[in-house]
Amino acid sequence: MKIPYSWLKEFIDTRLSPSQAQEALTMAGVEVSSCRFLGEGFDSVVTARILEMRPHPDADRLSLCKVTDGSTTFGIVCGAKNMKAGDAVALAKIGARLPNGVEIKKAKIRGQASEGMLCSEQELKLAESSPGIMILPEDTAPGKPLADALGLSDWLLEVEITPNRGDCLSVLGVAREIASITGEKVVLPDVSFPETGEPIANLVRVDVSDPDLCPRYTARAITGVTIAPSPDWMRRRLTLCGIRPINNIVDITNYLLLEVGQPMHAFDLDRLRGGRIDVRAPKEPLTFTTLDGSERTIEAGTLLIRDGEGPVAVAGVMGGANSEVVDGTTRVVFESAHFSPPSIRRTAKRLGLSSESSYRFERGVDPAGTVYAADRAVSLLSRFATLSVAKGLIDVGAGNVKPKTVPFRPERATRIMGRAYPPEACREIFARLGFPVADQGAGRWAVTVPTHRFDIEREIDLVEEVARLSGYDSIPTTYPESKAPEFSGDDRFVDIQERAFDFLRGRGFSQAVNFSFVGGRTWERMGAFLGFDPADAVRVVNPISDDTTLMRPHLLTGLLSNAADNVRRFIDDVRLYEGGKAFGKSYVEGQFEEARLGVILCGKRLPGDWSGADAPADFFDMKGVVEPLLLHLCASPVHVVPTRLRPFFEEGKAADILRDGEVVAWFGAIRKELLEEYALAGPVFYGEIRLAKATAAAALPGRYAPLPKFPPVFRDVACVFPFGVPVGDVLAMVREVSPEVVEAGVFDIFTGEKIGDGNKSVGIRVKLQPLDRTLTEPEVHSIHSKIVNLLENRFGGKIRTS
Amino acid sequence: MPGTSEQITRLLEEGMAAIASARSESDLLDAKGRFFGKKGAVSAILKGVASLPMEERKAVGELANRARAELESAFDARLAGIRDQERRRSEGRERIDVTLPGRAPMPGHRHPVSQTMSDVLAAFRRLGFSVQCGPDVETDYYNFEALNFPPEHPARDMQDTFYIESGAGDLVLRTHTSPVQIRTMERMKPPVRIVAPGTVYRSDSDITHSPMFHQVEGLAVDRDITMADLKGLLTEFCRMTFGPATPVRFRPSYFPFTEPSAEMDIQCVLCGGSGCRVCKDSGWLEILGAGMVDPTVFGFVGYDPEEYAGFAFGMGIERIAMLRHGISDIRLLFENDIRFLSQF
Ligand SMILES: [Zn+2]
Repeated sequence: MKIPYSWLKEFIDTRLSPSQAQEALTMAGVEVSSCRFLGEGFDSVVTARILEMRPHPDADRLSLCKVTDGSTTFGIVCGAKNMKAGDAVALAKIGARLPNGVEIKKAKIRGQASEGMLCSEQELKLAESSPGIMILPEDTAPGKPLADALGLSDWLLEVEITPNRGDCLSVLGVAREIASITGEKVVLPDVSFPETGEPIANLVRVDVSDPDLCPRYTARAITGVTIAPSPDWMRRRLTLCGIRPINNIVDITNYLLLEVGQPMHAFDLDRLRGGRIDVRAPKEPLTFTTLDGSERTIEAGTLLIRDGEGPVAVAGVMGGANSEVVDGTTRVVFESAHFSPPSIRRTAKRLGLSSESSYRFERGVDPAGTVYAADRAVSLLSRFATLSVAKGLIDVGAGNVKPKTVPFRPERATRIMGRAYPPEACREIFARLGFPVADQGAGRWAVTVPTHRFDIEREIDLVEEVARLSGYDSIPTTYPESKAPEFSGDDRFVDIQERAFDFLRGRGFSQAVNFSFVGGRTWERMGAFLGFDPADAVRVVNPISDDTTLMRPHLLTGLLSNAADNVRRFIDDVRLYEGGKAFGKSYVEGQFEEARLGVILCGKRLPGDWSGADAPADFFDMKGVVEPLLLHLCASPVHVVPTRLRPFFEEGKAADILRDGEVVAWFGAIRKELLEEYALAGPVFYGEIRLAKATAAAALPGRYAPLPKFPPVFRDVACVFPFGVPVGDVLAMVREVSPEVVEAGVFDIFTGEKIGDGNKSVGIRVKLQPLDRTLTEPEVHSIHSKIVNLLENRFGGKIRTS
Repeated sequence: MPGTSEQITRLLEEGMAAIASARSESDLLDAKGRFFGKKGAVSAILKGVASLPMEERKAVGELANRARAELESAFDARLAGIRDQERRRSEGRERIDVTLPGRAPMPGHRHPVSQTMSDVLAAFRRLGFSVQCGPDVETDYYNFEALNFPPEHPARDMQDTFYIESGAGDLVLRTHTSPVQIRTMERMKPPVRIVAPGTVYRSDSDITHSPMFHQVEGLAVDRDITMADLKGLLTEFCRMTFGPATPVRFRPSYFPFTEPSAEMDIQCVLCGGSGCRVCKDSGWLEILGAGMVDPTVFGFVGYDPEEYAGFAFGMGIERIAMLRHGISDIRLLFENDIRFLSQF
């Protein structure tokens, strides 16, 4: 909320300068985010009067003006046409530096000297654009600083109000806040006026049929008024505060909204059918046109203001087109009411309509302030408009307003805050706040809280008042008593994740962070290739764009588009990983999410290698990351099997990794259709690890096995297999042949004419090492035979003898 | 055998000449073989000494031994010379250009947000806090209600919320990591001392707001916790994160789940407090929100507010990362441009 400093000064004659007020309010919890001097750039700009005006002898479009600041006469060359002799204008003297940055220098324009400039509103940054120079009101005295004449020798404070402090959404509220900081007094302007009209009861009748939603309804009526523009000072203040001036009646309600925080509404009394007001929530839905011209559906239960025949306003939110004040209006009813905050909030949300008044009602408006606001409006209006005020006022529910009493123990403040607050200090703060205190003995007080402080209901709220008004600066810095922290499952997970990140970093992968949302359109369209299960999808009800419609079922698309973006920026070798969550309705323990780690790789196997081997990365480069990473993290054997269950991979180039029989990861080559979708030339390799699942069981400490004391024997076997035989399975079986086989690995693999189409030659090296003796030649021979037997009979291999 | 000593002298001369003229290691070894190796001429004479007459043995033996020693030392010197020469000759051909890159990828880079998150967690874990995580898809109860955001309360406007399709209609994407407070307190009795990292979501997007971002939330509950403890802890944290000389200030604020509430500012790291665009001329930067746990929250988890007190705090990680690295547009953090990532 924007508040001019001069307006504050009308309510509290504070010793705080604008910037001191900014600092003091901020440090008391009412943040003032800016404090701007409005007269910036108005030095050496004064009011002046045009004495005489004639055309420039050598330029049709220019005029020569003689202007006076009251003591000196200046000759000015001017390009505008909208002024005449006698007009009051804004004169920028030599040396002025205007708000738009222009510096005024002595100049000769087409041979005529110009001793300054007549300014336009645009040049003074008072308007976006202006047709000519600024013409000031006729009665403007020349020679005054323009800032003073325009009321711009002032500061504009921008106050950020937290939702609990609705009471500060007004000049009065902020003035009260200053009073509670400094101990100065708030003085309310006098609102006396003569009641010259007929009794209000003759003009309008008010019923409140739903008092729960409208605890108080106050009204004043005026007659004989003429709709006209408000005085300049009022229009200026409204504009500064962001409200467009309309006419004297509407402006006065808005002025009071800003000044005392009471939203008001003005009805044209002659348009209130039956001269009646009834505050009531309809039982049936209906349609109604609000004064912004839109027809709205009103649900049952929405609080309305009705006249004798139907709705005339949505209570507390917006008036109706059928009862608003118009040019010919002469008789007006001012509404100054208190509505229940949740009811207003529901209505504003349902209608998608937030107004200055609904904003304030939602946050709480002082129910005790309705009469003062109505009186202030009428009194202020009568100063600049001719009118007659009806006798008396209508005030339904006046008895409903009672201040609260809240218990307080000074000792409690000390305990919560960790510094001593002596009872006298607390008492002094409550006095500044205007909260009467009754001492009930034994360190217990009863504190009376005025009705404008909606936020204070409990002892802890009073503790906060004492603490903030004593200043948080005065709170000492101590340390909580230290205890050894627990080591939670999540501590372990965070550590595991760090280890994974470090491992991948060491392998040249950089970390990506993508949104957990993905674009619904892409996922629906590419669903078959992404393995998208619409029934399992976690969807956002109110996305802000297509990119935020769906919670990602896995991490692939984020990394895939990162790869594509980087390739587009001429970075061909992409190595990225991301740790994050994947979402699906079917995930564990009532939670729709699971921790994952995605890894993507494309480009060269070894970027930046110079030794001739700029070979492209392949499937085994990805396997060479994912499998060792799992071993690094879970330190227990994992099993790699071919898979057909991942449609985002090319068939025959995809694998799952199992741990204890459960799939904990998958990796492979991204399928062509997806590469095309992301405009990637490929190949691109991707792996995803179910991080929490894969590392769920902590590995037990391994048991020591004695080291062999005798030398090992190595045997090589070259064997031709049908192409489809999985070598991993072969090696696993070879290791099972005999306990002496301690290792079995591949040292060579090839295909070609020599060994026949559809075949592959695999060289296998086994290491034989018994623990307790040296193997004899017959023993070696026997194991070798068993291996050959296995290869030939189990896997259809043929031993090669070269 | 008077000829023997002349023979030794001649062999010595010939041997020295052969060593001197050897052009390579193999020439040299050849000379060694001929003259003083196991089967060389001088060795043969030494072997034959035993068969000489007694009176000659000593003189011949001494002479032959001296000759062999002379040849050996000439050989060693020449060998060193030849190897030196060899090395000098091959240096041009075999020397390694050590400035070429090694044969493994250079390390990758941590994302600045993730790195900042790790650093923040590490700081609080050193200060005695344990990690607790919670779900991103939360219920309205944990995200709002139990944190004292009643339905129809304007405080809900502080956080623009994404809702998730569900049967009960009460699922949201958590707008803060504060629900972890409730989940933790439901599960355990005080003392509690946790930090909760995670992703959070707000339906908001511009140069300083992203629909998803990261937060770390902290909670401590015990019998004698005070606001002074909170101020001490957070002051320590800001100094660990932004440097030991960083001025901080603590000012009142509002959060529904804490009372009294506070915001902590650090002196603007860009202008040093004199005022700039980033700190909106205030000289201060808001870093985190905090406060004493509101008794209403304790009510939801069955803690007695007369017996226990607690504090909570929370901070946005992107903001801290952006301040640390001078990043002005939050969107850069989610583009994953390798040219950007490789700066960290
Ligand atoms: Zn700054």
